Amino acid sequence: MRERKKSSAVEVSSVKKKKEKKTKDNNEPREQKEKEESQSIMKQQKNTTSRSKKEKQRKATEDYQSLRESELSGDEVHGTDHDVDNADDHHEEDQTDGSEGHRGVEESDSSEDEVAPRNTIGDVPLEWYKDEKHIGYDISGKKITKKERQDKLASFLANVDDSKSWRKIYDEYNDEEVELTKEEIRLVQRLLKGKAPHTDFDQYADYVDWFKYDDALHPLSNAPEPKRRFIPSKWESKKVVQYVRAIRKGLIKFDEPKEEEPKFYLLWGDDSSAAEKANHLAYIPAPKPKLPGHEESYNPSLEYIPTQEELNSYQLMYEEDRPKFIPRRFTSLRSVPAYENAVKDSFERCMDLYLCPRVRKKRVNIDPETLKPKLPSRKDLKPYPVACYLEYKGHKGAVVSISTEASGQWFASGSTDGTVRIWEVESGRCLRVLEIGEAIQYVAWNPLPELPVLAVSAGQDVLILNTGLGNEEEQRRVKDLLHVETPTAPDVLDLGLVEDHLLKNLLLALMFTLDGVFGRMASQGRLPLHVFHPTRSIFFVSTKKNIRVYDLLKQRLIKKLETGLKEVSSIAIHPAGDNLIVGSREGKLCWFDMDLSSKPYRVLKCHPKDITNVAFHRSYPLFASCSDDCTAYVFHGMVYSDLNQNPLIVPLEILRGHTSSNGRGVMDCKFHPRQPWLFTAGADSVIRLYCH
Amino acid sequence: MDMNIETPEDQNEENSRRVQVRFKTKLKPPQKVPSNSIAIPSNLTRFGLSSVVNNLLQAVNPEWKSEPFDFLINGELVRMSLEQFLLAKGISAEKVLEIEYIKAVAPQKEEEPSLHDDWVSAVDGSNPGFILTGCYDNLGRVWKAGGVCTHILEGHCGAVSSVNIIKSDGLKYVTVATASKDQTLRLWKFDAEELVNHPKKIRSFKILRGHKASVHSIAAETSGNMVCSGSWDCTISLWRTNDSDAAGNQVSIKKRKGNNQVEEPQLEGEAISTLVGHTQCVSSVVWPQQETIYSASWDHSVRTWDVEMGKDLSDIFCGKALNCIDIGGEGSALIAAGGSDPILRIWDPRKPGTSAPVFQFSSHNSWISACKWHNKSWFHLISASYDGKVMLWDLRTAWPLSVIDSHKDKVLCADWWRGDSVISGGVDSKLCVSSGVSIQ
Repeated sequence: MRERKKSSAVEVSSVKKKKEKKTKDNNEPREQKEKEESQSIMKQQKNTTSRSKKEKQRKATEDYQSLRESELSGDEVHGTDHDVDNADDHHEEDQTDGSEGHRGVEESDSSEDEVAPRNTIGDVPLEWYKDEKHIGYDISGKKITKKERQDKLASFLANVDDSKSWRKIYDEYNDEEVELTKEEIRLVQRLLKGKAPHTDFDQYADYVDWFKYDDALHPLSNAPEPKRRFIPSKWESKKVVQYVRAIRKGLIKFDEPKEEEPKFYLLWGDDSSAAEKANHLAYIPAPKPKLPGHEESYNPSLEYIPTQEELNSYQLMYEEDRPKFIPRRFTSLRSVPAYENAVKDSFERCMDLYLCPRVRKKRVNIDPETLKPKLPSRKDLKPYPVACYLEYKGHKGAVVSISTEASGQWFASGSTDGTVRIWEVESGRCLRVLEIGEAIQYVAWNPLPELPVLAVSAGQDVLILNTGLGNEEEQRRVKDLLHVETPTAPDVLDLGLVEDHLLKNLLLALMFTLDGVFGRMASQGRLPLHVFHPTRSIFFVSTKKNIRVYDLLKQRLIKKLETGLKEVSSIAIHPAGDNLIVGSREGKLCWFDMDLSSKPYRVLKCHPKDITNVAFHRSYPLFASCSDDCTAYVFHGMVYSDLNQNPLIVPLEILRGHTSSNGRGVMDCKFHPRQPWLFTAGADSVIRLYCH
Repeated sequence: MDMNIETPEDQNEENSRRVQVRFKTKLKPPQKVPSNSIAIPSNLTRFGLSSVVNNLLQAVNPEWKSEPFDFLINGELVRMSLEQFLLAKGISAEKVLEIEYIKAVAPQKEEEPSLHDDWVSAVDGSNPGFILTGCYDNLGRVWKAGGVCTHILEGHCGAVSSVNIIKSDGLKYVTVATASKDQTLRLWKFDAEELVNHPKKIRSFKILRGHKASVHSIAAETSGNMVCSGSWDCTISLWRTNDSDAAGNQVSIKKRKGNNQVEEPQLEGEAISTLVGHTQCVSSVVWPQQETIYSASWDHSVRTWDVEMGKDLSDIFCGKALNCIDIGGEGSALIAAGGSDPILRIWDPRKPGTSAPVFQFSSHNSWISACKWHNKSWFHLISASYDGKVMLWDLRTAWPLSVIDSHKDKVLCADWWRGDSVISGGVDSKLCVSSGVSIQ
C-alpha cells in the first residue's frame, strides 16, 4: 500500500513538473533533473512483482511515464516553442491510447476480469429469467434457451462417482460448468483465511525510502519547521471563542434532529380531514362505517339488552325506524351463531361507498353580511306605527272592511254580523250602529268632507248610507243626495267614491268594464279588484295573475303588469300614482314602478299566509300589508320625485295582537289619513289602532 | 348632641352604614323636629325616614299621631334607600346631610262616585263650590260633592267634549261654557248656591256657532270676558261671553224639531277672531294669561298665540299627536302635555333654543287624555290615561306620587278640585273624587 502511495505521489509531482515546464520552457538544468528522477523511478518499478489489480493500474501509470519521457525527450530534441495547450491535449490522447494497447497485449491472461465476455444476454440481473426457459436475448432479439440441466438425482449420482465433482461450479452467468484448478482452489482457500491471495506476495516488505539516495547534493528543503506548526493558532482560537459565544447567545442555531414519524396510525380515527394523506387534491376519503360499541359485544351489559316491551314496540315501528341490530347475550363466544346478514351488510356497505356522492363542495368565502342591501336604520324612518294603544270593540263578527273619514276624526267598519259601525278615532267610542242585515263586504267613506256618506256593499247591493255626522246643512245636503240615488250596479266588489271631475270617468269605467273584463271574470266565478289612478283618468283592474291598466278617456288598454303571483288578492296605489302594490294569496307583496317595467320592481315575501289587504299612507312614506297570519307589516316606501332614484323600500315593523278566528287573521288595514297610524280589522271582531 | 334612634330596619341590619343627617322643615311647630344632627342607618327608605321623624316628634310631643312624610334631599324626593340615593346623585355621605321633610302627598279618601248616563268626557273643578262635567249623552251636569247633581245643562245635540267655568267673582250667577261635537259652543248661567232637591234642567243663554267641525276644547280668559275654542277644523276661535252683546243679534229661536219646550230667547254669537295655523285638530287650548293662548294639536305641535296680534309666537314640536295641555308650575310657565303615547312631557318655554322636554314621565301604559297642574303648587300635577289610571306627579321625582286606580276603563278627563281633591271621569260613566290630597 505504501508503495502505491509513493507511486501516486510521483505521478502528482511529475504532473506538477510538467506544468512548471510549460511556464518555464527554457529551464534546462531542472528538466534534466526531472528526467533523472523519473528514470530512477522506472528502475524501481521494474523491481516490483505484485500482480494485483492495483499493481496493474500502477503499470498503466508507468506506461504513461515512459511515454512521457519519450515525449519530453522529443521536445528537447526539437527545442521548439509550440502551443502549450495543444501539446498538452496531444499528450493525454497519446497516453490513453498507449495504455489500452499495453493492456490488450500484456495482461489479457492474468485475471478472469479480462476474460472476453462469452455471455450474450447482456448485463441484466439473472433472477429476471429465473422461472423462464430462456436466459435472455441475443443481439438479434432471439431467445437464448437455458442449457438442459441434469435432474437432481442424476447429478447427485454423477457427483458421487466423480471424485472431482466438488471442484465443479455452475456459472449461472455464462450458463456453464467450470472446474476449478488446484491453484485456483488454493487461492480461494487463502482468501477464506484472510490472507493475501498469492503466496509470493510479501505483505511486510521493507520500506523503501524513495527520496533518500546517497548522492543527494541538494536536499528538497532544509528549512527548519516553522514555529507556527507547533503552537496552537491564535486566530483559530479566537474564531472558536467567537463561535462558542454565538452558540451560547443563541445566534447560531443547529437544526433540530428530525423526529421520526411513528410507523403506526390510528386505525379507527376519522380520516375525513386527512387530506394530506393523499397526494392529489381531489382525494376524498371513503365514509367510515359505524364502529362497533358495547352492544355489539357477544355478552353486553344488561342495560343494552332490550326488554320484551321494547321488542314489541319495535314491531310497531316503521321498517326504516326499527333498530337494525338487537343486542343479545351469549354465555360464550362459541355459542354466537353465524351472522345472517353478513353478505347483505357488506353489499350495502359497498353500495354506500359506490353511491356516496363524493364531491368537494366549493364554498365561496363571502361574508353574508356584505350581501345584505344597505338599508337605512329604522330609527331614522320614524314615525311609523309601533304599538297598539286603542282597541275598538263592539262587532260580533269578523270585521271585514274599514274606511276612514278624510279628516281622520271618524272611521267606519263593516262586519260579517251585518252591521256597519261608525267610530270616533280618539276615544274609541262607537257613535252609530247601522244594521244592514247582510254580511258586509266593503265600506268606503266619501273622500269629500262636506258629504259625510258611506258606501257599503252587502250581498247584491251597494248602499249609500248617511252617517248622521256633520251639521244641519250637511245633513240636509246628504238627504237631498240620498233621495236621488238609487242603488244599482250589481256585482261590484268595491267602490271607491271619486271626486267630482272623475265622476264621469267612474261611469265610463263601470260601463266599460261591465261588458269587458268584468263580464269575463264574473263568468269564472271571480271578481276583479280595481283602483283608480289618484290624479289621472287611469284605471287598474286585476285579473287573476296580471294587472291591466286602462286609459278611461281613450278607452283602451295601456299596459299589462305581470305580477308572477298565483293569485292577486289586493291592490293599492301610491298617492302619487306611479307606484302600485299588489298582495297575493301566497303571502307575496309586489311593488310595481310604472316607470320601470311591467315586471315587479320588488317582491317581498314576508307573510306565511294569504295577504288580505294592502294599503298606502296618504302623506307619510308608509305602506302596510295585513294577512291571515294575524300580523300586519309596515314598510317604509319612499318614492322620490327624482326619476333617477328608484323607490326605497324598508321593512319596519311587524304588528301583532290579533287572534285567529276560523283561520282568518287580519282582514283589512287602513292608514289614518293624517297620522302615521294604522287601523287593522281582525277576524276576531276587534279593530286595533297602532300608533307611532 | 347625637342621638341614635332604633328603628325596625335598624335592628335587622346592625352592621349597615350610618349617615349623619339633620331634618329641617317649613312646616309649623307641632310638626317641627329639633334641628340636631342624628345618625341613622343608610339603608332607610322613605318609610323608614318617616318613622324616624314620627319618633322624633313623639319624643317632643307625646300626643303626636304619626303621619306620613316625604323627604327632599337637594330638591329631589327620596324614592329609594338613602344609600342608593346618595350613590345615584353623587352626594357625599361624610358631611351632615340636610333632609327636608314635607307632608306626603297622596289621596286619603275615595269619595262616592257620581254616576252618569254615559261616558264622562270633560270635567272642570276650578270652582270650589261645584264640579262641572260634560257627558257623551249631550248633557252637562253640575255636581255638589258626594254624587249630588244640582243642575243639568241641556241643549247640545252632540256629545259634550269640553267644559269650562268662567270666572265670575262677586256675581250671584255662575257662567259656564261647554263645547260639543255638534260644532257649537254654549254658554250657561245658573245659581250654584241655590238648594235643589232634584236636578234642575237649565238652558244655555248663548250659542256660539262658527266652527266647521266638532269643537274639541274650550278655555276661558282669566277675566271671564272671552272664551277660546279649539276644533277639528284646525282653527282656534275667540268668542265674547257677555250676554248684552253690542251686535245684539238677539234672535228668538223658533221652535226646533223635537225641542218644543224652547221658550226663552237665546243669543247667538260669532267668533270675534280666528287663529289659523294648526294643520290638524286643535285638541286642547288653555288661556292662562290675558294675552297668550297655548294650544296643542294633533299636528304634533304646541303653539303659543298672541291674542292681540292673532299670530303664533312660538312652536314646540313634539313628534306625537297631543291630546291635552296645561300651563302651570314654576311661575306658571311650564307647559305639560300628553298625547298619543304614554309619556307626559313638560317643557320650559323660557329655556332658549330648545324644544326638548325638561321632564318626561312615562309610567302610563296608554294614551294620556288629560293633564292638570295644581294651581298653588309648583311641583304637582295629575295626568289621566286610557289605561284607566290617574297619576299624581311631583316634578322632583320621576316616580308617580300616587296612582288612583278607581276607574275600570279609559279615563277621559281629570282635574283638581278645591286644591285637595282629584276628580276624574271616564268611560265607565263615573266621576270619581279622591280627596285628602294635602298640598301645602
